[in-house]
Amino acid sequence: MAEGGTWLIVGLALSLPFLLLALFGILWTIAYPVMLISIAYPVMLIWAVLFSTKKLNQQIADTTSREALLRDSLGRDPLTTIDGGYRSDITSSGIVWAGVVFGPSHWHLLIGYINNLIGGSIDTFQKVVSAGRAEAMQRLRESAIANGWDDVINVRIDTADMAPQGGQGGVKAVEVFAYGTGVKYG
Amino acid sequence: MEQMVQGILVVNTETIPGMMITETLGVVSGSTVRAKNIGRDITQGLRNIMGGELVKYTELLEESRQEAIGRMVADAMSRGATAIVNVRFATSAVTAGAAELFAYGTAVKTE
Repeated sequence: MAEGGTWLIVGLALSLPFLLLALFGILWTIAYPVMLISIAYPVMLIWAVLFSTKKLNQQIADTTSREALLRDSLGRDPLTTIDGGYRSDITSSGIVWAGVVFGPSHWHLLIGYINNLIGGSIDTFQKVVSAGRAEAMQRLRESAIANGWDDVINVRIDTADMAPQGGQGGVKAVEVFAYGTGVKYG
Repeated sequence: MEQMVQGILVVNTETIPGMMITETLGVVSGSTVRAKNIGRDITQGLRNIMGGELVKYTELLEESRQEAIGRMVADAMSRGATAIVNVRFATSAVTAGAAELFAYGTAVKTE
């Protein structure tokens, strides 16, 4: 009886560090997001109000300049949405794809919500989504060229909502996914 | 440069340029459901405040799509196909944390 009691105490003493570690883990899981959100969110929101429009414009300018650069070096746009009527000198083909997850900043969301009350077209969201789409298409061009394809035919562009339906929290973003068949001319 | 995914030719056109389809072997598909981890959700959530691209989610979806295509190709191989034509992709968000990526196409034999 007494021996059993001793073993129980020894067992408890040995497992105590692990129990503490588990407790710490549980607390950290709860406390870490709360801490991050309560401290970082106001700062980041102010940052977003000040700089997110600038960042978006930079992103659009960057995509446009890369597009122009590629078009100048090739002399044409490698993407077409045509399926069928292929050129007869195609030697090989294969699938190429590119995806981008792109979201509006919380400042743009706020402007969007206010716009939504008034109605009409919401230019902010249109600008954000088309920036994401242009980026995805540009990456498709770049990945096709990097893989050695001359052209991409039958290009399809798919846009999926990353945010849960009617849910609170989570990220507000769309995934733009562009794919097509790369072809190489002999 | 022949882009073959494990020996099977994958295209999203109805026919393969320069090849003849001799036999169709039915619809093949592959899908994968990926959950984002909580640490990533927090950092990407913070990044989302500023807007723009969420790089980690882009990478996550890229990996998952590769896996979905791999499963589709394995399905086609088990049917003895040499190519998959007319490939389509579909994405759906199952819950806030998980996304399903689905790839499907027609397995064919070519000569």
